Amino acid sequence: MTAPVTETPTMDTVVQAATDTFIQVCEVWVPEGDRLVLAGGNYNGLAAFEETSRKTSFARGEGLPGKAWDEARPVVLKRFDGSYFQRIEAAREAGLTSAVAVPVFAGATLKAVLVVLCGDDEARIGAIEVWTEDHSGMLMLDDGYFGAAEEFAFVSQHTHFPKGQGLPGGVWAAQAPILMRDLGSGYKFIRASAAGKAGLTTGLGLPVATPAERPYVLTLLSARGAPIARRFEIWDARATRDGRAILADGVCERDGPLWRDDGEGTRTEAPTATAWKGVVGQVLGSGLPVVAQGGSGLPADYTSFVGLPVYRGETLTHIVAWYN
Amino acid sequence: MTRKKLVVIGAGMASGRALEHLFDADPDGWDVTLFNAEPRGNYNRIMLSPVLSGEKSYEEIVTHDDAWYADHGVTCRFGEKVTEIDRTARTVTGENGTVDYDKLLIATGSNPFMIPLPGHDLDGVIAYRDLDDTNRMIDAAAAGPGARAVVIGGGLLGLEAAAGLRLRGMEVTVVHLMGHLMERQLDEAAGYLLRKDLESRGIDVRVSASSKEILGQDGQVRALVLEDGTELPCDLLVMAVGIRPNTALAAEAGLAVGRGIHVDDQMITSDANILAVGECIEHDGAVFGLVAPLYDQAKVVAATLIGDEAAFRPKELSTKLKVTGCDLFSAGDFADGEGREDIVYRDPARGVYKRLVIEDDRLIGAVMYGNTADSNWFFGLVQSGEDISEMRETLIFGPAYQGGPDADPLSAVAALPLDAEICGCNGICKGTITDAIAGGATDLGAIRAQTKASTSCGTCTGLVEQVLQVTLGDDFQMPAAQPICGCCDLTHEDVRRLIKGRELKSQEAVWQELGWKTRNGCHVCRPAVNFYLLADWPLEYRDDPQSRFVNERKHANIQKDGTFSVVPRMWGGITNAAELRAIADAADKYDVPTVKVTGGQRIDLLGVKGEDLPFIWDDLNKAGLVSGHAYSKGLRTVKTCVGTDHCRFGTQDSTGLGIKLEQILWGSWTPHKVKLAVSGCPRNCAEATCKDVGIVCVDSGYQIGVGGAAGMDVKETERLVDVATEAEAIEWTTAFIQLYRENAKYLDRPYKWLAKVGLDWVKETLASADERARLVAAFELSQSIYRKDPWAEHAKQAERYQSLADLTLEAAE
Repeated sequence: MTAPVTETPTMDTVVQAATDTFIQVCEVWVPEGDRLVLAGGNYNGLAAFEETSRKTSFARGEGLPGKAWDEARPVVLKRFDGSYFQRIEAAREAGLTSAVAVPVFAGATLKAVLVVLCGDDEARIGAIEVWTEDHSGMLMLDDGYFGAAEEFAFVSQHTHFPKGQGLPGGVWAAQAPILMRDLGSGYKFIRASAAGKAGLTTGLGLPVATPAERPYVLTLLSARGAPIARRFEIWDARATRDGRAILADGVCERDGPLWRDDGEGTRTEAPTATAWKGVVGQVLGSGLPVVAQGGSGLPADYTSFVGLPVYRGETLTHIVAWYN
Repeated sequence: MTRKKLVVIGAGMASGRALEHLFDADPDGWDVTLFNAEPRGNYNRIMLSPVLSGEKSYEEIVTHDDAWYADHGVTCRFGEKVTEIDRTARTVTGENGTVDYDKLLIATGSNPFMIPLPGHDLDGVIAYRDLDDTNRMIDAAAAGPGARAVVIGGGLLGLEAAAGLRLRGMEVTVVHLMGHLMERQLDEAAGYLLRKDLESRGIDVRVSASSKEILGQDGQVRALVLEDGTELPCDLLVMAVGIRPNTALAAEAGLAVGRGIHVDDQMITSDANILAVGECIEHDGAVFGLVAPLYDQAKVVAATLIGDEAAFRPKELSTKLKVTGCDLFSAGDFADGEGREDIVYRDPARGVYKRLVIEDDRLIGAVMYGNTADSNWFFGLVQSGEDISEMRETLIFGPAYQGGPDADPLSAVAALPLDAEICGCNGICKGTITDAIAGGATDLGAIRAQTKASTSCGTCTGLVEQVLQVTLGDDFQMPAAQPICGCCDLTHEDVRRLIKGRELKSQEAVWQELGWKTRNGCHVCRPAVNFYLLADWPLEYRDDPQSRFVNERKHANIQKDGTFSVVPRMWGGITNAAELRAIADAADKYDVPTVKVTGGQRIDLLGVKGEDLPFIWDDLNKAGLVSGHAYSKGLRTVKTCVGTDHCRFGTQDSTGLGIKLEQILWGSWTPHKVKLAVSGCPRNCAEATCKDVGIVCVDSGYQIGVGGAAGMDVKETERLVDVATEAEAIEWTTAFIQLYRENAKYLDRPYKWLAKVGLDWVKETLASADERARLVAAFELSQSIYRKDPWAEHAKQAERYQSLADLTLEAAE
C-alpha cells in the first residue's frame, strides 16, 4: 500500500511514508575477526526479522553480506527461496523478498557491507541497479531490483552506457556521486521514456570502490509514489582538510533544494558536517555506513537515515545520504 | 509617506540581488515595476549548466517566484520588451504601455557573441545564455542516441554545455581556438588535466582549432568545417565564445556608453536618476561576466538608492567549473611576469596539480586541479595580500601544515598519516614504508624490494626518499643517480621510458604525469623533453622552438659579436658554379666579412647581421640552397671523398652514397649533432673513422663503423657491420640513427651512448631484419614532418616584405 505524502504531513503521514518506502530494511554489517556482525540497522518495525539478524553473523562467502565481501562487488538477490540467503524464514514472515548488498571498501580493506531489503508489492516502483563494465568498454547492467517497474527493468537490461553518458556513465566518468532530477520528463536521457512511464523521478548514482579494477556504479531510482527516500544528500568530504564535509547537492520533498552554490568555487554558504557530529558526521568520522532511526539528529519530520561513505582508493571522498 | 517609483529593466541576478538589498533596507519606500524580456522572473542563471545536465531542475534555480514578487509589491512586466527610455519625461515605455520613474535601474545584461561564420543563422546554431537555450539543447539531446553536438568555445560556459550534452547522451566535440582550455582561468598544466578529464568522458576536444564555415541541409545545421578542412558533423552547434554588454537601450536614451554603460563607483550612469548594474555596465574600463562583482554592485545600487554611502571596488575573482568530477579552482593573477615565482605541487597518481604564484612575498594567484580542498584558504590569502614569507616553504601544503616559522619542508611528509598513500601504482602507504625501514630497509633499493613502492612508474621515488629522510635522518644518504635537473626526480632514461610507456604526448602531459616540480621545466629539462617527445611521437607532437637553444631557434649560429653564421647545405660536399655564384653574390650583397671553407666540406658565411638573415636565406633558397643545419642537434654533414668517379683507388661510389645518406637524414632531430663520412677506400680521405657513422668502402662492399669522435674526445669508430650493397649500407645507417634517436640520452653523442648501452646490444638489435625495417619506417615517418628547410618559412616572410617595398618604390617613381 502506498500512502500519499502531503505537502505538510501530519505525524500519521510521516509514519505511513516511512513504512511504505521502497526500501523496507537497511542494515550495516562490519567485519569482526573473520566474520561480519551486525553493527546497526533500521528494521522498520519488523522485530522478528531484526531479532533473527542480531543473532546472525556471516563468514566470508556466507549469506548475502558474506558473498558481497567475498566477491568484492555489489550483489543483488531477487529471490531468497533456494538461494544462499540465510534468513529466508524470517524474511518471508516479514514480507521481504529481495535484497541488495553493497560492500564498502577502503582500498583493499572491507569496512562494512550495507544491505537493503525490499518487499514484493505491485505498487512498489523504483529501482536499485548495479552497473559494471562490459568487454567493449561500456557500462551494462550487472543486476538490479526493480519492484514492479518491469518495463523499465527490461529497458535497463538492454541499455549500455558509454563513459560520460546518462546517470551510470556520468558517475563512472566523474568518479563521484550524482543526483539527477526529473528522470522521466525534463530529463530525457536514454532510458527516459521508460523511466517516465514507470514514474521514476529522482536518480542517485554513486561509484562503489572495490579492490578490483572493474568499475561498479550503484543507482537508486526513486518514484514519487513509493520513494526510495524523500530527501537525498551528497556531501563532499574532500572539500576541506579539517575533518569537515560540505553539502554538495541535495533535494528534499519538504525543504526543496538543499544545495548552496554561488558558482565561484568557494561555496562559503554551503552547509557543513563535522566528523562525529550528527548522523552525517558519524559517517565522516567512522568511515562506515550509518543507519539511524528516530527523530533525534535528523531534519524535522524525518525518522530514518542512511548514510553511505564513498571511497576512492583508501580515501573517503563523498557521503551519500537518504532520509525518510 | 509617498513611495518612490523605481523602474527596473531586466530581471537578472544583479537586479534581483539589488532588489533584495533594497527591500531589506527600505521595505516600504519603493513601488517597483520590473520589466523582463524573458517571460519569467529572476533565476540563478549560472546554475543553468546543472539544469542542462539534469543535476538540477529549473524550479530549484528560481531565485524569486511569483509569491516573492507579490510579497514585495513588485509589478512584473515579464515577456515585455522595453522600447524607449524618455529621460526628460522620466518614463519607460514597454510594448504594453508607459510607466514613469523617480529612479531607473538598467540591468539589461549581456548578449552572447555569435561568430559571423557562413551558416551561423542556420537552425540548430544557438548560443548558450538563458533557459530557452538550455531547453533547446535538452530537446536536441532527446533526438536519441547518436545525436551530435559541436560546441565552439572551450571556456567555462562551453565546457559546461559540452559536459551537460554528453551526460544527456550526445556525441560532443569542443572546438577551441586557443592552445589550451579555459585559458583565461587556467594555465597550460591545469588545462591539460581538464582536457584529459573531459576526454575521459567521451568528449572530443580540439584545441588550436579555428572554425571556418557552418554547413547546413534544408536550413538545418549539418556540420562545422574547420580551417584545416576537417568537417565535424553535428545536429546542434552551440557557440559559447563570449558575451557583450547589452547597451542598445541605454545608448538610444543618450547615456554615456563605451564597451558597456558607463557607471561611477555608486553605479550611477551619466544621468543622475539612472543607475545600471550587472553585465551591461562598464566601470573604470572593466566589464563583468562573473557573479561575485555583480552582487557587490547590487549592494552599492541599493545603498545609493536609499541615500547611503557606498562605492563599488572590484575584487580578485575565483572560478569554478560546474561539471561534477572536474575539480578545479583558479583565482587571482597567474600570468608570467618579472619577479614572480611559482610554487608547484603535482600528484600524478591522483591527477592533482597545484600552482601558487608569489610576488613580493604575497600570494597573487592560485590554480588547482584535482584537489581544491584548500581553495578557500588560498583565495583568502590572494584577497588579503597577506605576507606569506614565514610559511613560504610549506604554503603549497595548505593550512593544515602551517607549523610556524620553524617549519621544515620535510614536515609535510612527516605530518602525513601512516595510511597516506605514497605509491599510487602499488597502493603502498606511508606506514608500510616506515615499517620496512624499522625492519632494516634503509635505502631505496631495499624499500623497493620489500614493499614494491616506487617499482612501477617511479614517480613516487622522491616521496619515498623523503620518508626515508624523515625516518632515518642523517643515516639516509640520497642515491647517486642524477635526475635530469632540479625540476624532477627522474633520470633521462626514466623520462624516456615513461614517455613511451605511458604514451605521454605533450609537454604538459610530461610535467603532470611525471610529477615535475616546476610549472613547465627549465633550460635544462625542456630541450631534453622536447626532443624525447618529438622522437617518440612525431605525428602527435611538434617540435617546440621555445624549448630549443638559441642557435636552433634562430636557425643560425650566433657569434661572439652578435652576428650570425650562415652555412648552406652542400650534399656530400658537392657543389657547382651556380651555387658558388649565389654564395658569392650573397656575401657581397650582405657585406659578409668572412667566408670560410669548413671541415665538413661546405662554406660558412660569417658575420651576417641578424636582420639580414631572412633575406640572405631567401636569396640562397632561390639558388636552390637550403639550410646546412650547422647549428642543430641533428645531421650536420656527410663528408665524402670523390670515390670511383675520379679516384684511382676508389672502390665504390662514395660521393653518391654520401649524397643519398645526407638527403635521407637531413632535417631530422637527434639527441646531439651527428656527423657522417663516406670514404671510397681504406685510405680514408674523408676521415670516416672518427665520425658518428663512418663508412669505408672496400672491394667487397661497405664497412660501417659507429661511435667515432674527434672533438673533446678523440675516438676511432667501431665496426657495426660489413654489408655488400649500397642499399644495405643506407638501411643499416638509417636504422642505427633511429635507434640512437629512440634510446639515447639528450646531449649524448653516439659514442657516449654506445659506451652506456654497449655496441653488442646495438649489433644484436640491428641484426634483426624486422627491427631494422621498423626503425627505418619509424625514421621515415618522423622525416615526413621534419625533412624540410627551416629557412624557407622565414624566407617567405622576407619575400612578402620585399614585394611590398617594391610596390612602394613603383608608386614613388
